[in-house]
Amino acid sequence: MIKLRTFVSLFLCILVMIAGCTGGKPNADGQRQSKSASPRIGMMPKLMGISFFDAAGRGAKEAAQELGVELLYDGPTVDSAEEQAEMLNTWVAQGLDVIAVAPNDPDSIATTLVDAKTAGVSVLTWDTDANPESSERSLFVNQAPAEEIANSLVDVMVDVAGQDGKLRGKFVIVSGITTAANQNTWMGIMTLRLEKEHPGCELLETMYPGEDQRQSQAQIANLLAAHSDLKGIWAITSVALPAAAKAIRDVRRADAVALTGLSLPSLLREYVKDGTVKKFVLFDVEDLGYLTVQVAKRLSEGPIVPGTYDMGRLKGIKVTQDEVILGSPLIFDKNNIDDYQF
Amino acid sequence: MKRISWKRFAARMLPWLLLVMALWLVYSQVQRPAALVGVGVQWARIGALAVVMTAIILTGGIDLSVGSMLSLCSVVMGVAWQAGIPGECAAVLAVGAGFLAGAVNGTLIVLGLSPLVATLATMAFYSGLAMMISGAERITKFPATRLDFSRIGGWPSEYWILALVFAVGTVVIHFTRFGRWCYAIGDNKIAAHFAAVPVHRTQWSLYAASGLIAGLLAVVYTMHKGAIPNAHRGVELEVITCVVVGGTLITGGRGSIPLTMLGLAVISNLDIGLNFLSARVSFFTAEARLMVIGALLILVSVGNEWLAREDTRKVEE
Repeated sequence: MIKLRTFVSLFLCILVMIAGCTGGKPNADGQRQSKSASPRIGMMPKLMGISFFDAAGRGAKEAAQELGVELLYDGPTVDSAEEQAEMLNTWVAQGLDVIAVAPNDPDSIATTLVDAKTAGVSVLTWDTDANPESSERSLFVNQAPAEEIANSLVDVMVDVAGQDGKLRGKFVIVSGITTAANQNTWMGIMTLRLEKEHPGCELLETMYPGEDQRQSQAQIANLLAAHSDLKGIWAITSVALPAAAKAIRDVRRADAVALTGLSLPSLLREYVKDGTVKKFVLFDVEDLGYLTVQVAKRLSEGPIVPGTYDMGRLKGIKVTQDEVILGSPLIFDKNNIDDYQF
Repeated sequence: MKRISWKRFAARMLPWLLLVMALWLVYSQVQRPAALVGVGVQWARIGALAVVMTAIILTGGIDLSVGSMLSLCSVVMGVAWQAGIPGECAAVLAVGAGFLAGAVNGTLIVLGLSPLVATLATMAFYSGLAMMISGAERITKFPATRLDFSRIGGWPSEYWILALVFAVGTVVIHFTRFGRWCYAIGDNKIAAHFAAVPVHRTQWSLYAASGLIAGLLAVVYTMHKGAIPNAHRGVELEVITCVVVGGTLITGGRGSIPLTMLGLAVISNLDIGLNFLSARVSFFTAEARLMVIGALLILVSVGNEWLAREDTRKVEE
């Protein structure tokens, strides 16, 4: 009796699976017809729920509305490369035409991006790049040339904490996760320049608290307690900089420890006003999101030839073989911070 | 006995109804069916674990440590591989670690600990151990190997493991004496003992098998994506959900492996379908999807419990 029922269920199971597989096929043909209509664009940040990517999402939605394209702006809730890969697979199955992703790991995302490309999706990266060779992505929408960002970070620190234009003493860089391509590139350039031009600058071991506010603040508080002679901190993720500012203000060492890095004006306004942070660096995040969707739309119509383009409200955007560049980094201080709302 | 009550019929049909709904959700929205192979990999992994979990739950036990064992084996393989041991040998080490972890579970339970408590403890222990060995870091870059286990014949190996485990599991549980022992232990452990069923040996082998399968899956995962110590947190809950939705009684003694595959089909298609839907309907966030699946779990298990009680009453009459 039990065996009979088992086999009936087994049989039905297989039957339904076969029916399901054949049922999927007509849709595959249907997709080709709908290709001519407005493209469906999927844009994935490193993670959802932090101000940086909220701001980028606002810019992206603005562009989507202007262009009349369907935009899906979604990502994992934590900075996980695996969750990104799983979501990307779902997006491909769902039939999105263009996918723009800010990968948490440039290497482990590569196979997923290749699969997407093979399935007929145009793939680009934004904010942070995937491995350009192994991922076969077509373009990287870059906020600013990596050298310019890295140099601005060093320049700002020299400006705030330098003695006769040189950095002396203990400094530290606080990043996010170990695999983030953008932060790693910037740090590489910064370290080289510091070694060459500022031999008196002693760099402590780089910290990786993840894109997590509480974790960052706790680790920086520990660092401050362990090094009473710390001269300066570069916090180069949008989450780490306000966390570092809070940690420094809590122990009232704003005068002794110079702090700068990359973050959003809205998150740093109070710290700039009370002097914890004198200057910091960023680019227009909303514009970055806006530009990414503009590029995605163009990419859905065909390859983009290198040159200078007007993309919606952004004029004179430079496109190279490999990258789209938003512009030069901005430097924020007490005088201009109120001009920026993101 | 011959007359089929409509209530019984409805309770039995409920998972099938859900499956039809879930399949409709998926197939009405999928545009590139080929990409579903990639989406389904994680469900194939859950399915393979669910087969062993079904057998364990049949005996009235549970294995909460499967997720932690996956992480542990994955980390063991990653660390060994990166330390210069060839990938193939590291894979053997990982499977061995899985077997060992499962054997420890089995031994604890044979010694008299309740399966819930024993595997709850090892869940924490193995997960902590995985974190410690890896230094809580992801290990992703490996030297090349000659053998690549991540794909066989163009399909991700998870599917082959699922097929193999399903075939072996079905034969063992439904066609051998060992399978009947499992049911007997789940029905009444003491009675089974007095009926000369080797209770301890049966239990021990099931938990060890669970660890072994986790080890195999970890090898494939690590080959493909690397060793990520916290990537498998919470897998055990998805595995148990598939088993329960299939209609296996959580208290043991009733259920089957093909039914677990039905549960897997329902949950996986539902999750994928709702995921697709979330692109159009913003209500279906990850949290809302969890709620939907939770509500369905309650619905199905109420139906199953009721069915089981009806059957017992029938037998008593």
